[in-house]
Amino acid sequence: MKGYTMNSDDQPAVPARRIFLRDISRGAACAGAVAGAAGLLAAAEAAPGKAEATGSDAASFPTPDYDWNQHRWAYCIDATKCIGCLRCVEACKRENGVALDAHHFRTWVERYAYLDGEEKPHIDSMADPVNIAESGSESQYRFANRYRDAKVDKAFFVPKLCNHCTHPACVQVCPTGATFKTRDGVVLIDHKYCIGCQYCVQACPYGARFFNHAKGVTDKCTWCYHRITKGLLPACVEVCPVEARMFGDLNDKESVVSRFIRNNRVQVLKPETGNAPNVYYIGLDKEVS
Amino acid sequence: MPKHIARLVLLIIGFGALALAAKSFFTVDSFYRFGHYRADSVPEIAALTPAFQTPKACQTCHAPRHAEWSGANHKSVICEACHGAAPGHPDHLKVSIPTDTQRLCTQCHEQMPGRPSSSVRQIDPGQHYPSATQCIACHNPHAPKIEAAAARPVFDRKAAVASAAVCAGCHGESGTAANEIWPNLAGQNAAYLARSLGAFKTGARTDATMAPMAQAVADDDVPNLAAYFSSLSCGASGRRGSGDAAAGKVLAKQCTACHGESGRPVNTSWPRLAGQNPGYLANALTAFREGQRSDPFMSPVAHGLSDADIANLATYFAALSCGATSK
Repeated sequence: MKGYTMNSDDQPAVPARRIFLRDISRGAACAGAVAGAAGLLAAAEAAPGKAEATGSDAASFPTPDYDWNQHRWAYCIDATKCIGCLRCVEACKRENGVALDAHHFRTWVERYAYLDGEEKPHIDSMADPVNIAESGSESQYRFANRYRDAKVDKAFFVPKLCNHCTHPACVQVCPTGATFKTRDGVVLIDHKYCIGCQYCVQACPYGARFFNHAKGVTDKCTWCYHRITKGLLPACVEVCPVEARMFGDLNDKESVVSRFIRNNRVQVLKPETGNAPNVYYIGLDKEVS
Repeated sequence: MPKHIARLVLLIIGFGALALAAKSFFTVDSFYRFGHYRADSVPEIAALTPAFQTPKACQTCHAPRHAEWSGANHKSVICEACHGAAPGHPDHLKVSIPTDTQRLCTQCHEQMPGRPSSSVRQIDPGQHYPSATQCIACHNPHAPKIEAAAARPVFDRKAAVASAAVCAGCHGESGTAANEIWPNLAGQNAAYLARSLGAFKTGARTDATMAPMAQAVADDDVPNLAAYFSSLSCGASGRRGSGDAAAGKVLAKQCTACHGESGRPVNTSWPRLAGQNPGYLANALTAFREGQRSDPFMSPVAHGLSDADIANLATYFAALSCGATSK
């Protein structure tokens, strides 16, 4: 597990399983390439694209005012500050047009409550019937004060979202190239190319992806790519009243996230999966994954 | 090479060429530009329109309110956290003013296991002033701390006196109006005065005389002017209404939750009614009833009042002592 810690070097360790599979597939590809003429043809066709791919000379991309080579985004969460008000969840749904129900979220908040004399925590989130009843409808979100009269040893809230991993399993399994990692470190979904097979939903170890039934495509957090490329903060960060959510550029050594990571002993969720998340937490507990 | 093998090889090459031709035909130009994805999808996603506008956008029109909010301890709660995202406001979208403030405020302030008390002040809604149905009866949501609101605001008296000269024509040198139709300003709550002046500036409130006057006031002068008039001592105007004060007192029970038992509210963004001119009070209530003025809290209250009720209420509140004018 130690091999997957985040800040080690440029090339975080890739699990042996993935290397093995990659090598196998390369071998297979070589064996298959008997038709030499076809291979030459393919090279000739790919050539114009390749020439562009290497070019950092290209003008600012993706917008004239925003160059993705200049940024390396990261997200930080101080779980000790989160009050579970769910402003972030409502803002995200509004900002990104996510279905207003209690089962589809680009970001959500979990509550962990350790009751006196019990070993395991009670975990609930917006989909819990008690919380739905308290909020009055599935389109509003609120944590019920359900442990008010219980003897609570320890309780806390944990905001969650897509981790925008450095080695995203979802991108690896996508059969159509519909999901990909941008140069500034955001994992996006091309809704025009997504065929709705949901392999990526299965592959994500964090449950960050969901199926958008209205569009027939997979959906997930984009760190509000349409906002950050305009110099704004993601909607959830913008509305958080207690600064539990932070967003910034790792290329800037004095950005809020750089300082947060430097000044705290941060952790990521499920490091053992080798996905190398880019959402850094403090204030988690052993049960949180 | 045997003939049948040669045919097979040709067939394979033919299929291969066909497959590659088909691939190049169906693959869009930007697909391999940066990797195994369609590069054009990145600018497409980046071009989506943001919904949340951030407080900076609100400030351009609501400067006095923005100043009040950004100077107080709700400054980490952005406008749109309570009022909702405002894309297209003001042209295409009217921003909501939350009416169920108890529900809204307890979303953060309800005491709950797991909610860190270091992050936010918490109350037990059943224990914290259980008789009050709405938090805004006492708290100004833009500057919620009651002690802070009660403190005497610091302002530039010299500048205020200079800009108050134009107000004196109607509202009086000392803030006591020349006739009973116009409001007294002396001793009125500063936050309310600033809000009203701001409303006349933006056109949310209309008045043939007041609107152009308000538009001539600079944004920076609004809080200054409000604090100045608020600091003046409210002398009794001695004007009495024509209604029945005793009947007004009975009706006034529905007003006290926000305007205070004595006509002096705890939440300083609501107006003081005690000692106000009866003609002005009656006109204001009538305007709320008829829809010429609208307010999510006042409009429904005024809706059920008869002309006699309005006269009685105005008489009752006008007769109350405007009292100490420490604010």
